[in-house]
Amino acid sequence: MVLVIGGLASGKRSYVRSLGYTDEQMGTQSFDGRPVLAALEELLREGPLDDVTFSDIASREVVCCCEVGMGVVPIDREERAWRERVGRTCTKLAAEATRVVRMVCGIPMVLKGDEV
Amino acid sequence: MRVLVVGGSGSGKSAYAERLAARLAEQRTYVATMRNEGTEADERIRRHREQRADLGFVTIECPDSLAAACREKAEGVVLVDDLGNLVANALFAPDGTMTDPATVLDRLAGEVEALAQSYEHAVLVGNEVGSEGVYRFEGTNVWVRLIGALNCRIAASFDEVVEVVAGVPCHVKGDAA
Repeated sequence: MVLVIGGLASGKRSYVRSLGYTDEQMGTQSFDGRPVLAALEELLREGPLDDVTFSDIASREVVCCCEVGMGVVPIDREERAWRERVGRTCTKLAAEATRVVRMVCGIPMVLKGDEV
Repeated sequence: MRVLVVGGSGSGKSAYAERLAARLAEQRTYVATMRNEGTEADERIRRHREQRADLGFVTIECPDSLAAACREKAEGVVLVDDLGNLVANALFAPDGTMTDPATVLDRLAGEVEALAQSYEHAVLVGNEVGSEGVYRFEGTNVWVRLIGALNCRIAASFDEVVEVVAGVPCHVKGDAA
């Protein structure tokens, strides 16, 4: 699995397209059978992933997640918990990933694994 | 050489960009983008002026458009600091009304290209602001996305992209800057 992280509008989906995937192959739901999960952070809004759902996500070819944990810690408890969940989940996925890529200004920075 | 320099608040991106510009050419043009409308802006403008006082920059104020800084085959280096102000000023009128983001993106990307072609070297200071997760106001969300999109557009055509982290330049694209 390739984990693609980066800030808002940093070029994550463009990078996935450059790997040969179409927009139709990118989904935003668990168990949707698509090779690419885009916007993992949105799946974590309601709570942490259970083990079965995590396994589904970890079995995808590519997972994209917006970096949300920098800047000011939000005053709202739910928002704080969500940012924490996103960070923890990405850390677990990165440990299993064959490649971890961080997008900066649309350019892939490989944090783990080999360049394409 | 065309270089995009990005980094968070207080990361040292302005100081790095000024040193880089000073190294690239002896004729130096500084494009300031901040609207001067308060004491906090005053303080920041003063600090940035001091930083570049000894570096021999000619300053052009361009809070709304880069067009005023474009020249016919100008010599030396042009330094723009920073794109975040320019995007905010182009997106929001002083009364708070918002211009269509796609229109602003196309205009600014075109101006950046024209500016970079005007001078021998161009150094642009951008902002890394899209990793905070929660934006209280829809306007902030639009501004952040627009900065991200403009960064991607500029990075694709520029030779060098540098992310400054704690004052340390990290080479994202190219390694000559």
